[in-house]
Amino acid sequence: MAKSNKTSVGRRGFLRNAAAGAAAGAAALVSPPLVKAQAQSNGTGTPSPGTAGVPAPTQAQIDRETGNVRPPATVHTITRPGSDLMVQTIRELGIEYVAANPGSSFEGLQESFINYGNPPNRMPEFITALHEESAVTMAHGYAKAEGKPMLALLHGTIGIQHGAMSVYQAYYDRVPVLMIAGNDPDFIAAHTAHDMAGMVRSYTKWDAEPKTIDEALVAIQRAYNEAITPPMGPTLVVLGSEIQKDNAPNTKIPAYKPPVFVTIDATRAKEIAKGLVEAQNPRIAVGRLRTPEGVQRSVELAELVGASTSTAATGGPMSFPQRHHLCGPGADTTYDYTLGLEIAGAQASIIGPALAKTAATRDTVNIGFGGTVPGAGGRGGGGGRAGRGGAATAPPNEADAEASLPLIIEEVKRQLTADQKTRIQARIAKHAAANHEARVTAITQAVESKRAGWNGTPISTARIYAELWPLIMNEDWCLASPSNFSGGHHVQLWDHNKPYSYLGGQGAGGMGYGAPASVGAALAAKARNRIVVNVQTDGDLNYSPGVLWTAVHHRLPMLTVMHNNRAWHQEYMFVEYMAGVRGRGDDRAHIGSTLRDPYLDYAKMAAGYGMAGEGPITDPTKLSAALKRGVASAKRGEPYLIDVITQPR
Amino acid sequence: MKRHHVVTALVTLAVPFVSLYGQGGGRGGAPVTNVPAPTSPVTGNAASGKALYSTYGCYACHGYSGETGARAFVGRWGNLATEQGFVSFLRGRANVAPLAPSTSMPSFSDTALSDKQAKDIYAYIRTFKSSAPELKDIPTLNAIVDAAKQEKK
Repeated sequence: MAKSNKTSVGRRGFLRNAAAGAAAGAAALVSPPLVKAQAQSNGTGTPSPGTAGVPAPTQAQIDRETGNVRPPATVHTITRPGSDLMVQTIRELGIEYVAANPGSSFEGLQESFINYGNPPNRMPEFITALHEESAVTMAHGYAKAEGKPMLALLHGTIGIQHGAMSVYQAYYDRVPVLMIAGNDPDFIAAHTAHDMAGMVRSYTKWDAEPKTIDEALVAIQRAYNEAITPPMGPTLVVLGSEIQKDNAPNTKIPAYKPPVFVTIDATRAKEIAKGLVEAQNPRIAVGRLRTPEGVQRSVELAELVGASTSTAATGGPMSFPQRHHLCGPGADTTYDYTLGLEIAGAQASIIGPALAKTAATRDTVNIGFGGTVPGAGGRGGGGGRAGRGGAATAPPNEADAEASLPLIIEEVKRQLTADQKTRIQARIAKHAAANHEARVTAITQAVESKRAGWNGTPISTARIYAELWPLIMNEDWCLASPSNFSGGHHVQLWDHNKPYSYLGGQGAGGMGYGAPASVGAALAAKARNRIVVNVQTDGDLNYSPGVLWTAVHHRLPMLTVMHNNRAWHQEYMFVEYMAGVRGRGDDRAHIGSTLRDPYLDYAKMAAGYGMAGEGPITDPTKLSAALKRGVASAKRGEPYLIDVITQPR
Repeated sequence: MKRHHVVTALVTLAVPFVSLYGQGGGRGGAPVTNVPAPTSPVTGNAASGKALYSTYGCYACHGYSGETGARAFVGRWGNLATEQGFVSFLRGRANVAPLAPSTSMPSFSDTALSDKQAKDIYAYIRTFKSSAPELKDIPTLNAIVDAAKQEKK
């Protein structure tokens, strides 16, 4: 590894001196003789009398600290900085975007991201974030939409801690997020640490702090692999500023080795295939898979064996298409063989162990990590002996369902006879008819419920989702914001047919997620002729409003519709309940849990960040036209915000 | 606050598990019903009750007009049949479901809300009427049903 050429005064030493110099300056205010001594020391770095032998900063150092000049980083020309190799490594991993709020600890990397390569600033493109929490949540949302990581850059200890909440959410959500933190041990002492990753290690899947460029390249590849391997999660590589800047003319990027996914073995695949093929009425319960390819494989398997299928697509990404003709309860809900694929769901763990059951059930097989959730087997098609709970009660085969699917599919193909194929086609036709009928029945019941308060003011949350649906149903869309505080009306009204139709909840239930996750999803959507819908709760937006600027700056196809109930409404209800329990009345429950006096004007907020928008809208008859304008704007790549004053829920 | 968010998330996450065809979820998801409004006597002051309905946060769960939210009551009425029944209902709500407070009605003791205030709120609630048009008169919702009826190719 080439050694960097440091300036004559290390930056850590400079800081120490600067602090002492500042103290000396303060002392001079009350001690005139020290002024002369201080002046004498300037420019020489020699100890100043009266400051216990600590040298005052030089003028050059002060200029550096105040941003007036940049010290020469090296005296030699850098022909191939380590950071170029790091960026090339990241590029070869297929990383599309890197989101960051700038920081000196990764200035070498940032320079390479924006200048290295032809064309520069592509794969990945540098995305300007206004906060590290936003940068990481953008990566969180992107990964849920695309099934692969993007990169977030963090600046030293402060950037890691700013991003920590988002790391925690991604960890709980089991979402792959790749992170790099810069570490400059010679600059501001508070921005570095001996174990930088330690601050987030308890909710980071894997981390490393390589000491050489060669190690760094391997670590980046390893971090990527660890992130995408189940159980997925955020990973962090800490890169010293020195190795970003070091010259590495002869270093080669190591050949990338994709991760090995744990699969069921051939014997198990054969048994499962036999169960599916020989069953008279097989059922497949599909939870959250890793990638769109996994979703495709689940469809292939269901079609091969003619299994009615349940989906988790109304609760999160990467599941079976909701309107597929095999998705639903099917013609017969007495299933004689059930296969569960990752039906535990990514967020199962926050539901808690009390709901988990592990008792085995005959003729039920689950594949996946992380336990089981009763009822998941019936999601999207409930009813039937094994339809609800049946699939969920068997212990899972600890393997990746997505990677195991090809084995099962191949076995099914091998085992299927001509007679079975004929019988399966007949079953598929019956299932398709039954599922269609079930869907129409369900939607008819749903719309009946959604007309409640249709013409009310403030506007009902149901009307927001209902008015949106006809405007986007023929578009390629993604609902990126969690709907758990907004009534979840899309669950009943919309069709979730793509792996990214709905991206689900926050992960750990933390606020400040919706907008940055939607920006991340919009990054994924930008090059794919897709639009992103963000039904944005008002309390949540105020954690990270800066992402509105990011959306505008990067021309993202994102429509934000405010669910503006002028409160952290769930908290308001909790306080109401507590006051009720204590017999004190609810007339003060708004204190600390509402956003009033003054009301926030989100259209003006958006305008401040350069985003087009309108509102506040209180008249429900004006909602549809506004949404039309918003969808049209998003389709043009011009993000748009509509402030809608809503019913609380 | 964050703890509550998680609890809420759990509640909302659990919703799809009991749904048919992934159609569970959604607050205020019960079909509109048309139980006639009560005709029992009303003695309270509706104008005063309007202010109390807001101040005491009734809208939080019942919507600003009793039609939406976690516990809509227009068209259902339930415990609102009589003024006295309503007052009694308010007094006895504490700890109905302490493990799931977001689904619980707070209690209102007579020291927190007097009988007169409660009757005023009742009078205001009795002014509520459904704003829901007939389904045939809502093109948006009809378009959604029509789209669902089209066979998925």
